[in-house]
Order: sequence, then C-alpha cells, then structure tokens
Amino acid sequence: MFDEMMGFEGDVTREAYTNLFCWLGDQDLKKLAKKSSSAEQLFRRIGITFNVYGQKQAEERLIPFDLIPRILAAEEWRILEEGIKQRVTAINCFLCDIYNEQEIIQAGIIPAEHIHKNEAFMPQMCGFTPVGGIYTHVVGVDIVRTGPTDFCVLEDNARVPSGVSYMLENRSTMQHMFPELFTTHQIRPINNYPKDLFNSLIECSNSSFENPNVALLTPGIHNSAYYEHSFLADEMGIELIQGSDLAVQDGKVTIRTTQGVENVDIIYRRIDDNFLDPLSFDPKSLLGTPGLFDAYRNGSLILANAPGTGIADDKAIYSYIPDIIRFYLGDEPLLPNIPTWRCDDKNNLIYVIENLNELVVKEVHGSGGYGMLIGPAASKKELSDFSRKLKANPGKYVAQPTLALSTVPILTKNGLAPRHVDLRPFVLVSPSKVRVTPGGLTRVALKDGSLVVNSSQGGGTKDTWVLRA
Amino acid sequence: MLGRHADSLFWMARYLERSENNARRIQAAFHYALSREDDGREEWKTIISESGSEVVFRDKYSQITLTDAVNFLLRDRDNVNSIITLIYKARQNGRSVRANLTQEVWLSLNESWIACETALKRPVKIRDLPGVLEGIIKGSSLFRGALYGTMLHNDIFNFLRLGTYIERADNTLRIMNSKHHQLLPTARVIGGNEGQSQWEVMLRSLAAWRSFNWLRKGQLDPASVANFLIFDARMPRSINFCYREIKSNLGDLSNYYCSNYISYQMACELLETLNVPNVGNKKIKPSEFISTHIVKNNEVGRTISTDFNLCKS
Repeated sequence: MFDEMMGFEGDVTREAYTNLFCWLGDQDLKKLAKKSSSAEQLFRRIGITFNVYGQKQAEERLIPFDLIPRILAAEEWRILEEGIKQRVTAINCFLCDIYNEQEIIQAGIIPAEHIHKNEAFMPQMCGFTPVGGIYTHVVGVDIVRTGPTDFCVLEDNARVPSGVSYMLENRSTMQHMFPELFTTHQIRPINNYPKDLFNSLIECSNSSFENPNVALLTPGIHNSAYYEHSFLADEMGIELIQGSDLAVQDGKVTIRTTQGVENVDIIYRRIDDNFLDPLSFDPKSLLGTPGLFDAYRNGSLILANAPGTGIADDKAIYSYIPDIIRFYLGDEPLLPNIPTWRCDDKNNLIYVIENLNELVVKEVHGSGGYGMLIGPAASKKELSDFSRKLKANPGKYVAQPTLALSTVPILTKNGLAPRHVDLRPFVLVSPSKVRVTPGGLTRVALKDGSLVVNSSQGGGTKDTWVLRA
Repeated sequence: MLGRHADSLFWMARYLERSENNARRIQAAFHYALSREDDGREEWKTIISESGSEVVFRDKYSQITLTDAVNFLLRDRDNVNSIITLIYKARQNGRSVRANLTQEVWLSLNESWIACETALKRPVKIRDLPGVLEGIIKGSSLFRGALYGTMLHNDIFNFLRLGTYIERADNTLRIMNSKHHQLLPTARVIGGNEGQSQWEVMLRSLAAWRSFNWLRKGQLDPASVANFLIFDARMPRSINFCYREIKSNLGDLSNYYCSNYISYQMACELLETLNVPNVGNKKIKPSEFISTHIVKNNEVGRTISTDFNLCKS
C-alpha cells in the first residue's frame, strides 16, 4: 500500500511532505483537534452545507473536513495536467463526432448499439454544433493513485460536475487556520478558478454576442449543491437564476428583472438535461423553460455543459476512452484507465461472476457510490445477491479490479492515521484553451480500510496542494 | 436585478422584522404578566389573535397557560408566525439571494438562525425566557448594523428596507388596532390603572416606553400616546417615520431605474395624511384611521410587488 506521505515502506518521509512532517512534529495533537472543530464551526456559520437526498429537507449536513493537507509535487502534477488536458480534448472531439458524422462508429471502434441504445445518448443533439463548438466546458476527472507515478482515471464527470466550492473553501479555511504553513511551502494558488470559469465561458461566444450576459442556473435552495451554485455566482458576479426566472420570447432566452425582461446569452447550468426544456426533454418537468432548447439549437444561447454529454462519461463508454484518444488525437493516452469489464459481453460476465469477491462492480449509469459492490468487503450473501442481479441485467454493470488506493494521513482521535483518497481536479475547456486548476478536491474515506470516498457515503475532504517546484 | 431576488430580499426583511417585533411583543407581555396579581392571560390571547394564529392555537390547547402561549409563539412550527418559523423563512429567503448579500450580512442572518434553532430546540423554561428573547432581538440588531455598515446602498438595499418598513408600519398599526379601545379619549376615565398598564405594554412592544416617558415627562394620556406612535417623525416605529423611509426608498428606486412608479405616488399620498397629529380631533375616529391605514399599507406592499415584477405575472 502506497502512502503519499511515507511511501510504500512507511519509514521515510517523501520529499513533498518534509516541511509538513516537521511542522506536524511540533504540533500538540490536542490543539489540532480543537482547530479541527473550530473549522467545522466556521463551515456551519458560512453555511457550507449539503442536503442528503432522501433525508428530511430541513436537514443540512457538513462534509467532514480533515485539516492535514494532501501535497502533490510539481512533477506529479505535470503528469496529471498533461494527461487530463489530452483526455478532455479527446472527449470533446468524441462528443462532436458522435452527434454529427459518427466516424468512430464507422471506423468500427465503438459498436453502434453502445451509442444508440445508451440512455445517455440524446438524439435531440444530432445535426448541429453548439456555438463555440465545445460540449463539455466544465469537467471533473476523478483520479486514483497506486504508486509514486502511478495515476489512473477512475471516471470522467462530463455532465454537471460539482465540488469545486469545497476545493476553494478548504483552501481559504487552511489559510485562515494555518497561515504559517503557507509561508514555508510554495503552493500554487487556486483562487482564480471563478474568474477562469467566467473567461472560459465568454471565450465560447462569437461576434453575434455583444457583451454576453452570463447567468448560473440552479434547481434552487433544496439542491444538494446549492451552496456551490450561490458561491460561484457570487464569485463570478453573475445572476443566480432558476427556471421560474426564464422565458423564451421571439427565440431569445430572457430573465425577469425588476426593470422588465433582459436577454441572457450564456447559461452555466447546474441542472440535469431532463429539466432544461419540457418541450425537448422531460415533458413532466416543472423546472424547465419551454423553447429553451430551440434557442440553443438556433445559436442564440450557449449552454455549459451541452445537453447529452453523459454519453462520454458513463461507465461503459469509459472503457473506450483510450481508443477514443488514439482515434481523434493519434496519440497514446498519457493517463491509463482502470481495466474494465463490460458485463454485457458473455465472456466478461462469466469472468466477473467467477471473481466477484475480488472485483468492484458498478452500475453503468450510477453515481455517488450508490448501488455498487466492493467484492473484498462483501459478505457471502451480498455476493450471491449481486451475482443474481448481474445475470438478470448484465448490460447495467461494469466491473473493475479492486485497487490498492494510495493513502494520506488524517487526524483521528488517536493521532494521525492513513486513509484512502482520490482526487478530482477541475478542468475548464474553451475553444482556445484548456485550463486545469492546480489542485482539485481530495476526497478521503474516513473509515479505516474503506475505499468509498463519496460524501453521500460519509467521506470527507482535504485541501490539496500543488507545489511550485 | 432579478424580480425573484427582489422578492426574496423584501420578504427576508419582512420576516426578520416580524420576528423582532414579535419577540418584543412577547417581552412586553411577559413583563406585564409578572407585574400583576392575576397571570395576564388576556394579554397572551390578544397577542395570539394579533398574529392571526388563534385557530391553530385553539386546535392544540383547550386553555391558555403562560408556558403554552410562550412556546406556541416562540417555537411551534405549525404557527406560521412563530419566531422559529419566521427566522427559518427569513434565512431560506436569504439563502436564495446569498450572492446579493455581503458576507457579514449573511453571517449575521445565518448565525441568528443557528442560535435560534439551538435555543428553541426544546421547550423554553420560564427562567430562560428573558435570555432567549434578548438573543433574538440582538440578532436582528446585528443584522441591521451589518446591513447599514457593509452593503452598497443600491436597489438591493432599497428592497430590503422597503420590506422592513412595510412590515414595521403594519406591526405598529396592528398593535394599536387591538388596543384602540384603550386609546379613546374616554379611556382614562374607564381604564384607570388598567388602561395605564395597557399603554405601557403597547409602548414597550414598540421599544418606545422610555423615549415616550422622556419626551412626555411621564404624562400618559391616550391621545398623546396615539399621536406619538402614528405621527412623531422622531420615533423609529411610528407610521410617519416608516412612511418617510418607504417614500425615500421608492424615490431612490425611481431615480435609479429612471421610471415613475404607482407605489411611489401611493406612498407620497399616504405620508400626506401622517403630517398633522389628529387623535383628539373630535371629527376623526382613531379606530377608523388605524384600520384604513392597515389596508392602505397592504396596498402599497402589493403595488411594490407589481411595479417591480417581484412575482411572475
């Protein structure tokens, strides 16, 4: 098992952590624990909370914050940054192709039924290119690590990735609590993210948009990521709108203001495809705006991200991403995938069922850590139940080997202890540039030995530092 | 600014103002109850009916006791005007316009909510009541201070202030309305000591007991109490004061948006009726004056809503 502070053997501090390790040696752990609870107070006061679906609506929870930072050396970050840029570039090429010529199908790289029978494929998007040509403007690429330079991509979040506000708030909390650490480390800043996001969106517009009006579309205060929506709108200085503020008039999307109606040109939307427009998507949706999608098709609106980007990030298409990179860019992938068995293949299914106790099985369209099986941690009954589900509906699942995820220490009641982590760096794509904010959201499993880092399953977060040199 | 955001700002301010007013009203009634030989039961009945929650209360309790009344007014979530419901609604509105508020204003609101939720988690014991009420009023003062000290004085600020003053005028008028029979010129004869303590409750509810005494050197007569609460431009909870603020904020919006608004005209006309103290004038019935002003104040509130697209038409 690889620990990012202490290496494989656990006896030598790795270079990026030497300063922090010294500092930790000088700290009174009881005082640190106190700081930890004052950080929680701070989050509560600011209202950095999320709602867990299925719980009482009024209940707002905090995501546990661990104050031991995770540190990435400059060289490690270089590997990630280049690999991520390559990946999101290929994903955007793939989306443009799949909604237009579909050359990748004709070339026999992805079977047609994997696209057309996929519920994430959106026929409404076929036959036009959005203004600016970008499909997935904001991407969160989940990375896991198994050794000093062994990074691989766990999944791509190309629809409406969230978590960036935690990245930013974790950093400002650390600066507030431990300013001295920022004088002894050369940490690359991340606070430009909101400005970068704004610029990245503006870069998508063309000459027909004069001084484009940008807004952030939220489902409202009961959404689990509402804090993030309001935070980003605030930081970018743009309106935080809801479906009820929108109307389409003469083919233009407008918002209701205190002085009448106003056009809106670019919408950074944080609602799912189905809730955009009842005329084009889910007719039962009350949140949507009739006519919005037509305005989008006609080029009078920019939507970030485009509808239908889910076809690039479901867990079945994921297994093709290395081929997608080769096909569109002609290069070998810089960041590897995790080997993935699509269970709709007969031989794969047999293998998966035989080795279920060693594998992780996920739903193709699942997210948030729901509905998955971690073989090594499952009981006999859970295994046999799951293999029955697999046989009944094999196309719904993919399987992957259980990885020895890297660990980073967290502060527990009994001092420091290693826990498994992953990393979600945030990527912004515009026609002229791909920006990757140096850092990202480190999610950490708080239970000893656990591999599940999702906040909905009790995971926590850490500040993530990328060192300058 | 989005119409929906202006609406949330307006109602956030209204709910918060109402919670402060209700806390002060409970404070005054509690003070009254402690200074009497009976338990001041009638006063709790009056408060509950003033807040329009009589039916809900009667469904739950067959008779009024101090503890039940206080807990109903403070922390019953079925009571739409209980302090906890009001602060919850203020905060929900605040959350939906977070990007329009400064960090300090938001923190004061959110901390009020956290403090209120903690203090009202369990039924409030009588010995803790003074502290709980003080905490609620202090939260409101902090919010006001942060608002004046850190917000741009622009349209966002104007909608917040409009919410505050429409609510405050309504509150002052409603308290006067429920006690108007004690305000008639003849009340002195009938009321005696009882009348006197009713005026005291009313003045205390409006944070005006000391200032009135200071101005009047302890002379309590019904007409001057009424004139003070309606017409005195120095008194921050008088109707005159509220309407000068409403007019000024609507004037700012007219300038800012370069437009004429019906609500501004209405506020100007209403203010005209508030310049000359008239209680004691035989031709004017105070009860009628008060009830027509409650209606007019509501109309101004509704017209603000249509003038500025606060709600979807």
